[in-house]
Formats: sequence, C-alpha cells, structure tokens
Amino acid sequence: MTEADACATEDLLSRAVGGESAAFTALVRKHQRLVYSLALRMLSDRHKAEDLAQDVFLQLHRSAASIESAAHLLFWLRRVTINRAIDRLRREPRYEDVSLEEGLLLVSDACDEDPLLQRRLRELVGRLPAAHRAVVLLRYQEDLDPAEIARTLSMSINTVKSHLKRSLAILREQVGNTAAMGPDGTASRLEHAPTKHGSVT
Amino acid sequence: MSNNLDDQLRSALRAVDPGDEFAARVMARIANESMRPRRSMPAGYQWLSAALVAAVVFGALIAHDRQVRREQQGLEARRQLIEALRVTGEKLDLAYRVVNDEAHAATRENPGA
Repeated sequence: MTEADACATEDLLSRAVGGESAAFTALVRKHQRLVYSLALRMLSDRHKAEDLAQDVFLQLHRSAASIESAAHLLFWLRRVTINRAIDRLRREPRYEDVSLEEGLLLVSDACDEDPLLQRRLRELVGRLPAAHRAVVLLRYQEDLDPAEIARTLSMSINTVKSHLKRSLAILREQVGNTAAMGPDGTASRLEHAPTKHGSVT
Repeated sequence: MSNNLDDQLRSALRAVDPGDEFAARVMARIANESMRPRRSMPAGYQWLSAALVAAVVFGALIAHDRQVRREQQGLEARRQLIEALRVTGEKLDLAYRVVNDEAHAATRENPGA
C-alpha cells in the first residue's frame, strides 16, 4: 500500500466514522475483493462467502471508530474474515467437494495459465484443515510474510511456518498425483488429505 | 518445483471480485439494520431484569398477604375482646342481681332491723 493510498483510506475512514455513507461505500468497494476472496476460498461457496463478507462489512460499520489506520483496517478485515469463516466452518462443516460451479467460477482469467491445474489447486487448498487453509490464503492470496500471518491469526511464527510447510507438502503431493494419474483419477488419493478443521487461535 | 508451485498458488488464489452490486447490497443491509429497533440491552441482561421485576412483584405479593393476615388477626382479636367483655358484663349483671335479691329478702324477713 502506498502512502497516498493509505492517506486516501484513512480519509474515507474518518468520513465514514463521521456518518458519511458515500465514504463507507467507497471503503467497501476498495476492500470487497480482499474480504470476499478470503471468505470464498475459506468456505468454497459463493452464497456463504457473500453472506460472510457482508457480515464483515456490517461489523466494520459498527466498529469503524476503533480502526486507527489504513494498515490496521487491512489487519482487522483479514482477521475478522478468517475468524468468522472458521467459526462458520465449525458450526456447519463443509461438504468435501468443491462444487463444479465454484470450479468454473474461479477459473483464472489469464490465458497463459493451465485452468485445470489452477482449479485443482483451489480444490486442494479448499480441502486443507481450516487453520492451514487460512495460512496458505494469507501467504499466497494476500502475500503476507509469516510474521504478518502470525499476527493476523494470533499464532506463533513457528506454527505458521509449520502449517505452510505441511500444506505445501500436501499440495505438492496431490498435484503430483493428479498429474501422474490424469483427469480421471484426480480424486483417488484425496481421502488421505486431512479434512478436520483446525483452530487459528 | 517449489517456486513453480508458489507461482501456481499465487495465480490460482488470485483475488476475485464479488461484483459491482456488492457494495450496494452491503449498504442496503446497513440501512435495514439501522431502521430495525435496537435492543437496548443484551439478552442476558434482559433475563436478569425480568428476574428482578418478578422478584419485586413476588415480594410485594408476599408483603400484601402478610398485611391482610395481620388485619384479619386484629379483627378476630377485637371480636374476641368484645365477646369477653359481653360475657363478663353478663356475669357481673347476674352477680349484682343475686346480691340485690338476697339483700331484699333479708330486709323483708327482718323489717325492724
């Protein structure tokens, strides 16, 4: 985030706290990709992700006065989104397969990348335990370093590194299996991937 | 392989947009929430206040019941006192009449005394 960008966000934030709804709308537009994408990748369901993302912004509207800076806002949005997603996964355990609709929806728009491999990776990330999934998303979607991930998820850096290492090993193994077995055998070894939802606290 | 997987993950997990209308839907929900009457206190406190009101009403009922009983006991005591005074009066009247009758009889028997 550039300094000008941070200043613009803080200006929107202070105007939103002052009751200017246009400023809050602009804040939502600015951060909706972040919140919605984290929710979508955590829950693997478009409708639940939309619902959760709306809940996060409603909570932000109520507690905007407690946000101190643009960086704090980003930290707060990531943390609240992930925690709400994990709470929701605990309450209503997700079915194992990422739906075809989700797979098609999330296919990358870049033409030079393998859409099947990308879809497969998203499916595999969606099957990681919740805490591992949160770490992977913050690392590869949000581009945070392990220290920032640790702060966001209230974990030790060693736990973050261990989750990342374990997750990458699972993904590497599963992607390798997929490539070796071809499209018809993609689900054959996924039962071995851990599916129990972990905690980030 | 590691760098390749990192790149593939970054690409696969690229952020997606919820659509142009998302912000409008959020603002509609916020407007809807602000129109809804707010609960003044959490559910736990509401239970507590309901329990306090119930305790006060119960206490008032018990106090009222005691007061009514005390008044009834007072009335009963008054009734018993009046009855006792009436019986005592009758007995005194009877004793007076007996003494009076005996005095009259003695006067008749000894007129010169």
